[in-house]
Amino acid sequence: MKLPPLPPMPPLPNIPMPWPVGLTHYLLFAMLLFAIGLFTVLSRKHAVGILLGIELMLNAANVNLVAFSHFLSPRGTAGSLELNSVLDGQVFALIVIALAACEAAVGLAIILRLYRNLGSTNLDEVAKMKW
Amino acid sequence: MDLTQIIDTFAFYSAAGLALLGALGVAFSRQVLHACLCLLPCLFGVAVCYGLLGAHLLFAVQILVYVGAITVLILFAVMLLQRSLGRGILAGQQHLLGSVVATGAFMLIIAIAVIYTHGTPWKPLNLPLTEPGITSHNVQLIGELLMTTYLLPFEAVSVVLLVAMVGAIILARRERDTEPTSGETPEAREGDSA
Repeated sequence: MKLPPLPPMPPLPNIPMPWPVGLTHYLLFAMLLFAIGLFTVLSRKHAVGILLGIELMLNAANVNLVAFSHFLSPRGTAGSLELNSVLDGQVFALIVIALAACEAAVGLAIILRLYRNLGSTNLDEVAKMKW
Repeated sequence: MDLTQIIDTFAFYSAAGLALLGALGVAFSRQVLHACLCLLPCLFGVAVCYGLLGAHLLFAVQILVYVGAITVLILFAVMLLQRSLGRGILAGQQHLLGSVVATGAFMLIIAIAVIYTHGTPWKPLNLPLTEPGITSHNVQLIGELLMTTYLLPFEAVSVVLLVAMVGAIILARRERDTEPTSGETPEAREGDSA
């Protein structure tokens, strides 16, 4: 079976300049934040450490939402709700923050219960439901 | 480049650097308590980024909710665990190779996507792209949006918050009636309740 030929490589990417700060800078910042959070989640042994990593990832997603809504939304006159998509990203980010608070509360409660029942918060030792 | 732009650039790089340093502290601290404390500058840097993006309400909410509530909640839990463990909780790391590979692959993909799309003239669908308007004074607009367009998600989030609160209390509550701890006689427990 012969694979179709690859399309030609796209031209060299536009390397972002250090200034002025635009959408790309915020996206790269959010990417680094998300990557550090991902690394924390994957590498931590302790349950609270994993929760901290999840918080980092949620923050990175929020930065993306707000940055996209700031740089890409149409600008109307202030106060006109017809062009209210300027603020869509901010409303999404607000809701994400509320859900992050829920997640932290329930997650910490589960960790406390885990410690009380099993005497450990090391997630590798919590393998009761594994068979 | 005028002065505002210089200040914006400087503020962005400072805030992003602060946030990334804090995040690295979260990822590599030896103790869980230190990792929690490293979360504070990270969240503050993200809050400053919100401010630079014109999201003033989010700036305040980030500091109030994240820095003021979530971090303190996590700190409380860590100290509770530390008290019962009787020593500092070490946050060991494992599966380092797999984590590095997965994170590197993620960063590679996203960086390629972000850098290749740099400079793309993004346009929102079917909407006129006019001059940058006023993004300040938008707190009132967000309130109106939450009460009109986004009423359903708003109410759903309030229900979720209530359920999470009740669930967290039920999960974390000490059940004295069903779980007699060792070394505690029934007489003592009756004396406790009386």
